[in-house]
Amino acid sequence: MHELSVALNLVEGVQETAAREGIERVIAVHVRVGALSGIARDALMFSWELATAGTLAAESALRIEDVPLVVFCERCETERSPRAATGLLCPECGTACPKIVRGRELQLVAMEVPQ
Amino acid sequence: MKYRVVQIEQSIMRKNDALAAALRARFEASGTLVVNLLSSPGSGKTTLLEKTLARLAPRLRVGALVGDQATDNDARRLARSGAPVRQITTAAECRLDCDMITKALESWEPGPLDVLFIENVGNLICPAEYDLGEDLRVVLFAVTEGEDKPLKYPLAFNTAHVALVTKIDIADAVGYDRAAANRSMQEVHPGIEVLEVSAKTGAGMERWIALIEARRANKEREPLVTL
Repeated sequence: MHELSVALNLVEGVQETAAREGIERVIAVHVRVGALSGIARDALMFSWELATAGTLAAESALRIEDVPLVVFCERCETERSPRAATGLLCPECGTACPKIVRGRELQLVAMEVPQ
Repeated sequence: MKYRVVQIEQSIMRKNDALAAALRARFEASGTLVVNLLSSPGSGKTTLLEKTLARLAPRLRVGALVGDQATDNDARRLARSGAPVRQITTAAECRLDCDMITKALESWEPGPLDVLFIENVGNLICPAEYDLGEDLRVVLFAVTEGEDKPLKYPLAFNTAHVALVTKIDIADAVGYDRAAANRSMQEVHPGIEVLEVSAKTGAGMERWIALIEARRANKEREPLVTL
């Protein structure tokens, strides 16, 4: 629901990097979005077009890498991916695993620019 | 078209996180305990806050920032307690962020505060993402909401320090399954402190008030080292 402000933050990050490196146009932007980040992929895609309009990233592609939820199970002593809608339960032993290893990402990863 | 890849690797939350650190330092210096209240719409945040402010006001300097997408109804309701209250209307935004808090504090002079409550926008998804520089994150969950709510919104419950089960006075009438609800909460946050309250009847309110007072006393006694 705050995808537009996330998209605007992304554009800001892109602009800062571009200014620093003397980049004038951006073709694509890569981001990492965790399953628990609260971001809906479609809404972010939709917001991207609005957020980039009139900027050096206008008409750029947004490439989203989805990061599944991964927790650390203390009992199994290993990383596990909980099944959907089971909270943070280990799918193997059923232990509650409050330690979230991956899935909260909201990361501006990289951008593609003309050579 | 030939292109090259420029690595960036930065968190989208970095701006908010930097502002949160600044807020934390500021509240540390003033000895203000900051409590961020999260819940779905209708869980009873405003009623709880109304009663909480009224109970604490004789003993501590308390104030509140209240976020809503529109109207200042909540602020007007809370102002009846006599405590300083400021409404933040977020318009399209579904949560408060540190930029909003910082700006609200610029134009608001509540005087020195022992406890600042921040009532977030009613929503269990987005507010969980945003650190507001708080000491205590409290998630509210009414007995009418469904015992599996923590499983549906794990991040809110996982990041909260305390869960308040609200409207406990009607638990029996709505068939609230206490064991199932507690199980869901423990599944996303083992050991989370759970208090059952009714702002309406006052049941459980003493424990809640005592918890706030203890945290506040603790903060005063052992201020955290800030950068």
